[in-house]
Amino acid sequence: MPVIQYKCAGCGSGMTFDSTTGKLSCPSCGRQDDIEQIPDPLKKEVFEEGEVHEYQCNSCGAVIVTEPETSATSCSFCGSAVVLSDRLSGELAPALVIPFAISKEEAIRAFRKWCRNGLLTPSGFMNADRIKNITGIYVPFWLYDLDNDVEVRGYATKVRTYRRGDYIYTETHHFEIYRRIRLNYVRLPVDASEKMNDKLMDRLEPYPYDQLKPFKTPYLAGFIAEKYSYTDEELFPRAKEKIRPFIDSYISSTVSAFHTVRFTEKQIDTIAKQVKYALLPVWMVYYDFDKTEYTFAMNGQTGKVVGRPPISKGKVALWFSGVSAASFLVLKIVSWVMGGGFL
Amino acid sequence: MNRRSNRPHLKKIQSICLGCLLLSMLSIAFLSVSGWMAPSLLAAPAELLAPAAESEAGSVQYAKEAGTKTLIFDKAGLLTREEAEELNALANRLGAKRETDIIIVTTDNPDQEDVMVLTQNFYDEMAPGYDRPHGNAVILTVDMYHREIYLAGFYKAEQYLDDSRLDLIRDQIIPYLSDGDYRTAFEIYIKKAHQYMGIRPGVDPENLLFQTWFQLTISCIIGGVVVGMMAYHSGGRVTVNHRTYEDKSTSGVVKQYDRYLRTTVTKRKIPKNDSRPGGWGGGGGGGVTRGGHSHSGSRGSF
Repeated sequence: MPVIQYKCAGCGSGMTFDSTTGKLSCPSCGRQDDIEQIPDPLKKEVFEEGEVHEYQCNSCGAVIVTEPETSATSCSFCGSAVVLSDRLSGELAPALVIPFAISKEEAIRAFRKWCRNGLLTPSGFMNADRIKNITGIYVPFWLYDLDNDVEVRGYATKVRTYRRGDYIYTETHHFEIYRRIRLNYVRLPVDASEKMNDKLMDRLEPYPYDQLKPFKTPYLAGFIAEKYSYTDEELFPRAKEKIRPFIDSYISSTVSAFHTVRFTEKQIDTIAKQVKYALLPVWMVYYDFDKTEYTFAMNGQTGKVVGRPPISKGKVALWFSGVSAASFLVLKIVSWVMGGGFL
Repeated sequence: MNRRSNRPHLKKIQSICLGCLLLSMLSIAFLSVSGWMAPSLLAAPAELLAPAAESEAGSVQYAKEAGTKTLIFDKAGLLTREEAEELNALANRLGAKRETDIIIVTTDNPDQEDVMVLTQNFYDEMAPGYDRPHGNAVILTVDMYHREIYLAGFYKAEQYLDDSRLDLIRDQIIPYLSDGDYRTAFEIYIKKAHQYMGIRPGVDPENLLFQTWFQLTISCIIGGVVVGMMAYHSGGRVTVNHRTYEDKSTSGVVKQYDRYLRTTVTKRKIPKNDSRPGGWGGGGGGGVTRGGHSHSGSRGSF
C-alpha cells in the first residue's frame, strides 16, 4: 500500500505533525508521539518509480486526487493526512528535512502583521482579511556542497597624489596580480520544484540549518509535500549562478588594497562535492485583492515573508512628498544655522 | 481588539502630519521663489498706481508717494524713465526688508573725479540712510567718463556687504554694464545686495546650500530615493551574503602575488584662482569718507 497514514494508538483518529511541540499529535485525544521513536514504514517498502497511478485513502477508501509532484497531502473527502510513500522512496527519498516551526494560526498572524508593516501597501490590503488560502508546503530543495577552485589574473594600480611646489603629482604604481582561491560553500539551497518561483524562494533564505533533521515521514503528516521536478545535475548551473556573486565579492575582498583592478582572466572550477535532497518548510499565502491574486511565501521556520504586495499610488505620493518636505525643511534649517537666511 | 480600534486614528494622524509637512514645504518654496524671482511682477501694480511724477530739470525724482524714497540718481541718463521708476520701486521694496538704502548713482563725471571720491562725497552730501541720515546704505556709482564703477557699503551694509561680497556683485554686473544693458545690471545689483544682506557676514553668500532651487532638488532626490528603496524592499529583502554558505575552515587564498611592473607620474599645475572675469583687477576695498563714515568697497572698470 503506497499510502501512509498515522492512526492514533489511543483513539484511532488521524495524527498530524504539530509544529509547536515538534511531535506527531492527535487532534482528538491530544496524544503526542515522539517522531524519533516511530518506525518509518518507508524503510521497509521498495517501490518502483511511477508504478502507482491511483491512491486510496486508508480511512475512507476514497480515491486521492493529487498532482504528479505531490508527495503528501490530505484526503479531499475525509480530510485525513496522507503521505504517498512511493513518491518519497528510492531516488526520491529526501535525506533531510526542516520541520515546520510555525503553525497555521501563527503563520496567519505573522502574515497579517507583515501586511500592516507595508508602508506603501494600500490600506484595504493591510487588513489582510482576504486570505484566500494558506498552505504549508514542504518544498523540495537540493543542498549543494560546492568546492570552487578560483584562479584570477589581472592588472591593478595604486595611486598616490602629492603636492610639490606649484604642481600636483599623480603617481600610479602598476602591478600584475594573481590570486588562487579555494572557496567552499556548504548546503547552498536551490529550489527543485517547478511550481515555485525561484526569486521568491531565494529571498526566503536563510533557513536555520541547526533545525535540519534526518528525513522521517511523520513530519509531513498534515502538510503538503512535493517531490523534486529537476534533478541535482539539472540544477547545477543554477547553483553555480547563485554562488557567482559570492565568489566575485570574495575576489574583490582580496584585492581591496588597490585603487583600480582590471581582471584579464577569471577561472572558476566548481565541483559539487555532495548534494543532498531536503524538504524545507514554506507557508504559501494566496491573497485576493482588487481582482488579482497575490502570492506570498513565508519561511516556515523563521517567519520571513516575501512576495510583492500591491503598491498604493496615493501612499507613494504621500511618502514622497512627506520625505521631500522633511528634507527640504532640514536643508532650510541647516542653511539658516549656517547663516544663509531662512527664505 | 485594542490595537484594531487604535489603528484608524494612528493612520489619520500619520496622514495629517505628512499633509502639514507637504503644505509647509509648498509654502516655503513659494515664499522663497516669490521673494527672489517675482519682485518685478509684484512691483508692477504699484507702478501702475503710482502717479507719474514729472521730473524737474536737472534733478531726477520719481514716485513721490509716501514711503518711497528716491534711490536712483541717474544723472548720466542711462535709464528710461520707466526703467528708473521700476528699479526705484524694487530698490525701495527690497531695501526696506534689509533696513538699508540700495542706491544707484550714475554720472558723466564732468569734473573727472575719482569714482571712489565721487561715492564718498555723494554719501557725505546727500546723507542717505534707511534708519537715519548717514545711515545704512549701499551705493553703486557708475562713472561714465572713466567707465568705472564703485560699490560701497555703509554701516549695516559695510558689515554685511564686505569687500569680498561687493566684489562678487561687481563680477556679476560688469558683463551687463560692458554690453550697455544698464537696467539688467542694476536689477541684479539690487537683488544681490538684498540677497547677500540676508546672509550672515563672513559666510560665502553663493554657497549652493543657500539656494532654494538646490534645496528643492536635493529634497526631491532624497524623497525619490527613499520611496524607491521602500518600493524595492516591499517584496522582502535578500538577507544572505557571501559569507552565509561559506565554509570558512576550508576557504581562503591559496596562492597570490602582486608583481610590481612600473610607476607612471603625471603632474598638473595648481591653478591660481585670483584671476577675475571682466574688468581689470579691481578690488581697492573700502575707506573712510571725509565726513568720517567708514565703508566697504569694490571698484572695477567696464
